[in-house]
Amino acid sequence: MRATVWSGRNTVQVENVPDPTILNDRDAIVKITSTAICGSDLHLYDGYIPTMKKGDILGHEFMGEIVDVGRAVSTLQVGDRVVVPFPIACGNCWACRHELYAACENSNPNAGLAEKIFGHPAAGIFGYSHLTGGYAGGQAEYARVPFADVGPIKIEDDLTDEQVLFLSDIFPTGYMGAEFCEIGGGEVIAVFGAGPVGQFAIASAVMLGAERVIAIDHVAYRLEMARNRAGATDTINLEADADVVEQLKELTGGRGPDAVIDAVGMEGEYGHGALKAAERLKQATRSETDRGPALRDAILACRPGGIVSVIGVYGGLMDKFPTGALMNKGLSIKAGQCHVQRYMKPLLDHIRAGNIDPTFVVTHRLGLDEAANGYETFKHKEDECVKVVLRP
Amino acid sequence: MSGKSSAGFPRPIDSTLHGATDYTVGATLTTLFPRLAGIEGTPAARQVRTAGAIHAGYSTLTDYPLGVVKLLPYKAHLAIDAVGALALAATPFITGQFRKGRDQWLPHLALCAFELASLALSDPTGKGDYKGDVDAVRRSNMEDPHRKIHDPTPAVKAGAASSSA
Repeated sequence: MRATVWSGRNTVQVENVPDPTILNDRDAIVKITSTAICGSDLHLYDGYIPTMKKGDILGHEFMGEIVDVGRAVSTLQVGDRVVVPFPIACGNCWACRHELYAACENSNPNAGLAEKIFGHPAAGIFGYSHLTGGYAGGQAEYARVPFADVGPIKIEDDLTDEQVLFLSDIFPTGYMGAEFCEIGGGEVIAVFGAGPVGQFAIASAVMLGAERVIAIDHVAYRLEMARNRAGATDTINLEADADVVEQLKELTGGRGPDAVIDAVGMEGEYGHGALKAAERLKQATRSETDRGPALRDAILACRPGGIVSVIGVYGGLMDKFPTGALMNKGLSIKAGQCHVQRYMKPLLDHIRAGNIDPTFVVTHRLGLDEAANGYETFKHKEDECVKVVLRP
Repeated sequence: MSGKSSAGFPRPIDSTLHGATDYTVGATLTTLFPRLAGIEGTPAARQVRTAGAIHAGYSTLTDYPLGVVKLLPYKAHLAIDAVGALALAATPFITGQFRKGRDQWLPHLALCAFELASLALSDPTGKGDYKGDVDAVRRSNMEDPHRKIHDPTPAVKAGAASSSA
């Protein structure tokens, strides 16, 4: 089959690789009809997530048709159309029983590696380094889905692929980020990052009843999408507006947003002079893994007693973390890889009800063989790229 | 945004900038550098001038925008840069001239360090920033990015998921 493989930093290629097969009775094989490049794939592409190996198949956002199932999978049949969540979860462990699927204790065969870095193992993730299990990803023609009786959700109506594809990751991730903000109606929510996850965080905050949602990014066309499509009421362009913390205070009568969502993660592009240069140098020389201007400013801008919601991906350690502001303002931090399985059904219901049209983020729909160009275009934000969907 | 090396360093120097550096360094080494370094008339000056001339010479033969006869692949050029820098650094110690004073070996080491730093910051693909083919993307894209971004129709219903909805 054809698959998008990691070939070294800043290099992916579409190659012929062996077809996947059933390895476990709880496996299924999915013939992929749509898959997407995620912003977090760029952390792999840029080489900041350790334990990648040449030839690893990328991709953790995908859907398709079941073409084979293991004997123990009673919930799916050949021919079913499914969306596959990116965390691989067994459904039986303590974490899964508490709906903490991204912390599954059984799905990561390299749990020891993750435990050394994070203190506890993380769940397996499709196509996301050997730290998360070394599973083959879904930017391919076929994928093996372990624990297929737990993760995939059947799509039994005529919704298009692009209406439901993002249930695999970015819609639930954005929604969870907004849900962390405990929106009861009338709040001001700021969202750092207007990439695909940021767009869904903004849209979710709007759906949940926030009074104002402020989108923050350094890319003008992404802010335009946030305002036109996702429902942002205000935007801050980091290129044009000098001090984002001051801007957020000005927009909120000096108090600061009630909650701030970091949908940027470990490769924040903006920053302040010498600090920005020092962070880039430290990350390049691996003396810190994460550069975090967004998280830092989120903590500084959030109102006292507010919530900082972290859904952008961080990989290890970040310097100059503002512990003083965090403690003295009494902030709460909520963070995590999304427990996607928990959100798929309710969010599918919202799509069916017409409460959101997730296709709004798709700016590029390409054939799988264009994956390398897709990565470059997405990374460099060429051609007004927000989200790339690949059709195998 | 710059490219990144296989070691994860930013690599902002594309092949054009690398070529400009090659010719500038080559010209400087063959003319001003020996006098500025205070080594005029010594074996060190001859060695530095020779290195500069060779550097400029194979630059003219390199397959990059500032090459004249594009015979030498850019990656091979970078490999020669590295070997040449190390050879220049080793020369005073091979000839024994390092015993004659610091000025007989320090320029060699400084030039080697400069060259290796320049190599570390050079993108080996030679293409610098964007390596994709945006025209190919536009041809095969089945979407209209501009329309998707500027369509004024909201894609979400406010309050549809609120507790009171």
